[in-house]
Amino acid sequence: MTVLTALLALAALAALTAVTVLVGVLWRRRQGTAVAVSPASAPTAIDPALFGASADRFGSRATLVQFSTAFCSGCPATRRVLGELSARTEGVEHLEVDVGERADLVRRFAILQTPTTLILDRHGVVRTRIGGVVRRSVVEERLEALR
Amino acid sequence: MIDPRSPRFGAGITAVLLAVVIVLGLSAPPAGDVASRILNPPYLLLGAISALFLWGTTAGVARHPYGLLFRTLVRPRLGPPRELEDPRPPTFAQGVGFVVTAAGLVLGALGVPFAVSVAAALAFVAALLNSAFGYCIGCQLYLVLLRLRPSGARA
Repeated sequence: MTVLTALLALAALAALTAVTVLVGVLWRRRQGTAVAVSPASAPTAIDPALFGASADRFGSRATLVQFSTAFCSGCPATRRVLGELSARTEGVEHLEVDVGERADLVRRFAILQTPTTLILDRHGVVRTRIGGVVRRSVVEERLEALR
Repeated sequence: MIDPRSPRFGAGITAVLLAVVIVLGLSAPPAGDVASRILNPPYLLLGAISALFLWGTTAGVARHPYGLLFRTLVRPRLGPPRELEDPRPPTFAQGVGFVVTAAGLVLGALGVPFAVSVAAALAFVAALLNSAFGYCIGCQLYLVLLRLRPSGARA
């Protein structure tokens, strides 16, 4: 082993580490941020039956649909935040759907990570999408817009 | 239920060991027959890491040596966790780590150049993202597999 190859190997490791840290920082920054879904791109109202829920499980103001799996470390924290928000906000319901056995939902909503949360308006139309563990202030802000 | 910091602590140790494999594998690529390829320090170290992944995915992360190390040495020095975590996600991720490192070991034994370093690099990225950012690539892979599965099929 020459000194040069060892140095090159260390440089490769440093570059790999730098790229990984960059990916991690960008990923963490995007976690829990809300993406507005324009009604024009997905105007169809969702039937509660799609999630195996009865019609009264949808809120009269908004519904927080949380997609989870068993292999999901951020789901309990999201469940807690959304559960509290729905409990104390009039007309807002929280619905958690385990997509572990619902490949159709994973495809239809292009779920790439869990938790993924959709905020539906009173008609059941998707208005907001949040990837990753939700931030309370972000959800409150989006709910405020759905009065 | 487990302390979520335990798998991240373990992933940190794994990342350091994988970094050693990458550097040794790149600076001293093996030459010669199968025996000399296998009896090479980076190959043996990756073999040990792979065996630990297999241990984690079959016995569960709670019984993994790093988990024991965390409970006896690290946990007493930390405050209680904000919440506990289901052990299934990190256990699944250990399985992904095993598959990646085992593939590197097989290809490395067959003489594919840099197989050990490339496999170690893939696992290193995953372990670093997990330990430093709590980002579990293996868990995301699970959803990708789910997308490929035909509708209606059960887990």
